[in-house]
Amino acid sequence: MIPVKYNVRNLRVRWVTTLMTVVATGLVVWCTVLTFGLIEGLDHALRISGEPLDLIVLRKGTTEETSSNIDQKVAKEIANLDGIATDSSGQPLCSSEFVTILTKPRRNNGGTTNLIVRGLQDVGRGLRPGFKIVRGRDVRAGVNEVITSENMGERFQNLAIGEKLEINKVNFEVVGYFEAAGSSAESEVWTDLRDLTGARRQPGALSAVNLRCRDEESKTALLKRIREDEQFKLDAMDEPAYYERQMTASIGLKFVGYAIAVFLTMGAMFAAANTMYAAVASRGREIGALRAIGFSRRSILLSFLFESVLLCLLGGLLGCLATLPLNGLSTGTANWATFSEITFAFRFGPTVLLQGVIMALLMGLVGGLAPALRAVRMPIISALRET
Amino acid sequence: MSEAHSDNGEPVVVVHDVCKEFHRDAITIPVLSGINLELKRGDYLALMGPSGSGKSTLLNLVAGLDRPTSGTVTVCGQSLESTSESKLARWRSRHIGFIFQLYNLIPVLTAFENVELPLTLTSLSRRERREHVEAALQVVGLSDRSHHYPRQLSGGQEQRVSIARAIATDPTLIVADEPTGDLDAKSAGEILDLMERLNREFHKTIIMVTHDPDAAARAKQIVYLQKGVLVEKTHAGQE
Repeated sequence: MIPVKYNVRNLRVRWVTTLMTVVATGLVVWCTVLTFGLIEGLDHALRISGEPLDLIVLRKGTTEETSSNIDQKVAKEIANLDGIATDSSGQPLCSSEFVTILTKPRRNNGGTTNLIVRGLQDVGRGLRPGFKIVRGRDVRAGVNEVITSENMGERFQNLAIGEKLEINKVNFEVVGYFEAAGSSAESEVWTDLRDLTGARRQPGALSAVNLRCRDEESKTALLKRIREDEQFKLDAMDEPAYYERQMTASIGLKFVGYAIAVFLTMGAMFAAANTMYAAVASRGREIGALRAIGFSRRSILLSFLFESVLLCLLGGLLGCLATLPLNGLSTGTANWATFSEITFAFRFGPTVLLQGVIMALLMGLVGGLAPALRAVRMPIISALRET
Repeated sequence: MSEAHSDNGEPVVVVHDVCKEFHRDAITIPVLSGINLELKRGDYLALMGPSGSGKSTLLNLVAGLDRPTSGTVTVCGQSLESTSESKLARWRSRHIGFIFQLYNLIPVLTAFENVELPLTLTSLSRRERREHVEAALQVVGLSDRSHHYPRQLSGGQEQRVSIARAIATDPTLIVADEPTGDLDAKSAGEILDLMERLNREFHKTIIMVTHDPDAAARAKQIVYLQKGVLVEKTHAGQE
């Protein structure tokens, strides 16, 4: 085999071309990893929201909380069903909730977008993963207060702590920020159930009941009971199934993301191929000499492929490293299931970074193949005569 | 000098009735026709002739870089005309040392690494390789330049490194294509001294293509080619 230092030093000697190619492939990998990180973040937000033992009960025929309504009396009956888990004080983990959508302006002239406001009982907090107040305090019932996530506070006008959110001409003061393990709850505004239905002038209205089953067995029983009761006229599904449906939000993004990745990668392959063609062209005599000395076609091919892969991997690593400062950075997009804003954070996990590195590898292999083949196809004698 | 090869055993090079044609589009260009040549161990042959006479083509055939159109070329016991490309590569690495007009050193490798390059194709250990490289560099008198890159060396020194590379694997045959063609008279003289020493002291069989009658005169035999035909064979001493 031709020593590796031959390739490494050649890349170093042609450092300007090397640098340009590394930066180009790096940019491509950066863009792609960014897109993948975005998709992963969105998927994560919806995935983490779904707790397998939690059920969402909606009116039969609807698939979204926002278009569902449930009678208060029925909600009470559900809360008394057997098989619902209880909290430490013996209270059933069953939360009646009212969800409404408001159209609110984003900050920095970002236009208006839909905002989900959820009225819920205290018990509902225990049903969200990792719910905790991180700044300010939780709402008090009866005095028109709301809480939201810090990310939402930054994205929407009048949603930062101390500001007032208007709901049907009633002002709700933002008193705190909460976290819920990056789940979709962090894209919502929460308030007291009665305060919200009061402001919306729909006293007693409910959209959905969220509850936690004791175990798998009671989950099956509860699902059957709720779905089959003719009087209830309700449908129930577990949260993973519910959020799975909402993941359609990321399908469009995924499609665009992958399309961009494919086109950019192809572009980068041409960049790599161009660089390697130049390398092969300028080293004709060297290649001839190497082959005369006794290096096989295979070792020349592998050597040039290796050089190309090395070049692109350098770019790939650079691109991956450049995404790290953005890890956890929040952003938002429209959730096409509820037509409301959903916020989430970039996630550059090992999978996403590995995808970036694999892309770089592919760029090097595919981009380097044609020039490497050219290098070995040259007859030795004509290679030796090149200037 | 003529006695030098008379007591040699098996021939190293046997070229028998070799023709070589090149094809360009529909035109066939004959380059060599009916060439017969034999070299014994320890021979030092200069190939002379005008440009286009087929000297380099003949050298390439003997070095296993090209195949004849007809006829046979047997070098170090191996028939080259029917050997596969990959076998030929392996064969060259074992039996042939190359000296090129333009040295063809790898610019990004030091003198030491350039000389070591053909040795990486052998099964020698790292230590053994180092010993071989050091010995080869000592023969060409460049031990003190082993860590210099080709661009830090003069033309003559570069050619000496190239000779060290050619002898590092202790090949049976050394082929040199215009080894002094790119050098000033003084450097050329040094290179020719060195090649003579390789032949005399280390009993290397050498074929050298040259335009330069003075260079050719240093060989034991001179063969003249004209329009692809061997026209004359002289012993250098008889010129």
